[in-house]
Amino acid sequence: MLLKNTYNEFIKILAKPRSYLGIGALTLLIGIILFAMKADGSSFISFVTASFEQTLSFNGNILNGNLIAFIILQMLIVHIPLLVALVTGDLISGEAAMGTVRMLATKPISRTNIVLSKFIAGAVYTLILTIWLGFLALIVAKWIFGTGDLIVLNSDGLVILKSEDILWRYGLSFLVAFLALLTISTLSICLSAFAENSIGPIVSTMAIIILFTIIGSLDVSVFDNIKPYLFTTHMASWRSFFEDPVPWGRIQESIIILLVHNVLLVSIAIYKFNKKDITS
Amino acid sequence: MKKFSLFLFILVSITGFSQDADAILSRVVSKINTVKDYSVDANIKADIPLIKILPVKASIYFKQKDKFKVVSKGIAILPKQGFTDVNSFLMKKSSYMAVDGGVKTIDNVKTNLITVIPTGENSEFVLAKLWIDSKNDLILKSQITTRSSGTVTVDYSYGAEAEYGLPNQLIFDVDVKKFKLPKSVAADLNKTEKDKQKSKKNKDQKGTITIKLSNYKINKGISDEFFKEKDKN
Repeated sequence: MLLKNTYNEFIKILAKPRSYLGIGALTLLIGIILFAMKADGSSFISFVTASFEQTLSFNGNILNGNLIAFIILQMLIVHIPLLVALVTGDLISGEAAMGTVRMLATKPISRTNIVLSKFIAGAVYTLILTIWLGFLALIVAKWIFGTGDLIVLNSDGLVILKSEDILWRYGLSFLVAFLALLTISTLSICLSAFAENSIGPIVSTMAIIILFTIIGSLDVSVFDNIKPYLFTTHMASWRSFFEDPVPWGRIQESIIILLVHNVLLVSIAIYKFNKKDITS
Repeated sequence: MKKFSLFLFILVSITGFSQDADAILSRVVSKINTVKDYSVDANIKADIPLIKILPVKASIYFKQKDKFKVVSKGIAILPKQGFTDVNSFLMKKSSYMAVDGGVKTIDNVKTNLITVIPTGENSEFVLAKLWIDSKNDLILKSQITTRSSGTVTVDYSYGAEAEYGLPNQLIFDVDVKKFKLPKSVAADLNKTEKDKQKSKKNKDQKGTITIKLSNYKINKGISDEFFKEKDKN
């Protein structure tokens, strides 16, 4: 019954025009970045390597598909949560607003399974968005710009990774990026369980992300104790796969914190939906 | 009369030293001049505090006077100054004057230290110090100061191509104090204070680039068009 309901929930997502808005927006944004890099990518690169180029010269194909994919991920991972929340934010509250939640609750499926099926359908949508991002960022960019070594700028300097040592890093970083986006999806579904309209959970999700990101970027000691537990701190941990050596301990910590957030948020949503007095 | 004799002695000494320096340099230059073009396989190992890169294999192409190209599958880092530009500069005899700096010993080899001072006001080179093995007419060490790149020190080792004045290993000292990372791009939320301290400490260090050169192909002829072609790798 859970699987059948999950399938129904996914069909509902597919039926909404806004679900395609996310994929369309992603395609347009990446298209613009690819065009900009093709037209004037070298000046973007020189911005990074300028201080080194007084003394050193960088030879070889620096502006390649691997670097473009990294730039796209870095630029868009901040904005994709909005595209995710736009769809997952009204999975429960949207039904309440349309008045279909009462009918849903009369079906021979527990309320817990209703929330779980919405969570799984939201996860599948997030996965599709991540795969589409990966396809455009990595495969299309490699097709246009070719392959080559990846030059990554971290806070402790430049790391140059061999082209044959990159694909596994992208594979794992997309998995962690998916987990981070899944946390956004779960947060918006959780907020959706508390709301009776569509827009509230979407806006609230974005407000929480902005608030946590600002707290995370403020270099003030008063926030030092809470920063490691904010999910936004770990949303950029996909980047850690491009360090040398890879900080496995830090990545593991990020994965655990993101997983705990997911479990906690789904549990809250299940509890709230089970206790909810459905009157609409 | 005594004063005049002393002045004459100093003048003759300086002129004599300068002539020595000129003679040594011109022998080195004529050796370099025998190479019209070359290609060589290079193994480039950069050990620079702010840059992490594995050794890279590349092919280096040179043609007189100043055509230079590096072809590599991956990203290769080379010093901007001190590779072929010293030789190109030394070939323009009228653009500098050479001063003998005495005899110095490098790795048990007696060398003549020659300071090369450009005569033109707008020269990119500010000063070049060359430690020359005058017995074999080979540059064993150079220290070049340029307007744009600061000072670069290069140690040379020679093998089978010593007769052409071509080295089989070059070790460049790179000053990393000038390196600055753009903060907006380098922002990393997961970095701890310990990591930040570590990267600050790195800024005070010097870096080296070691280039091992093998499989020289000398005077085989390389077309000018080759140097204009864009690297397709």
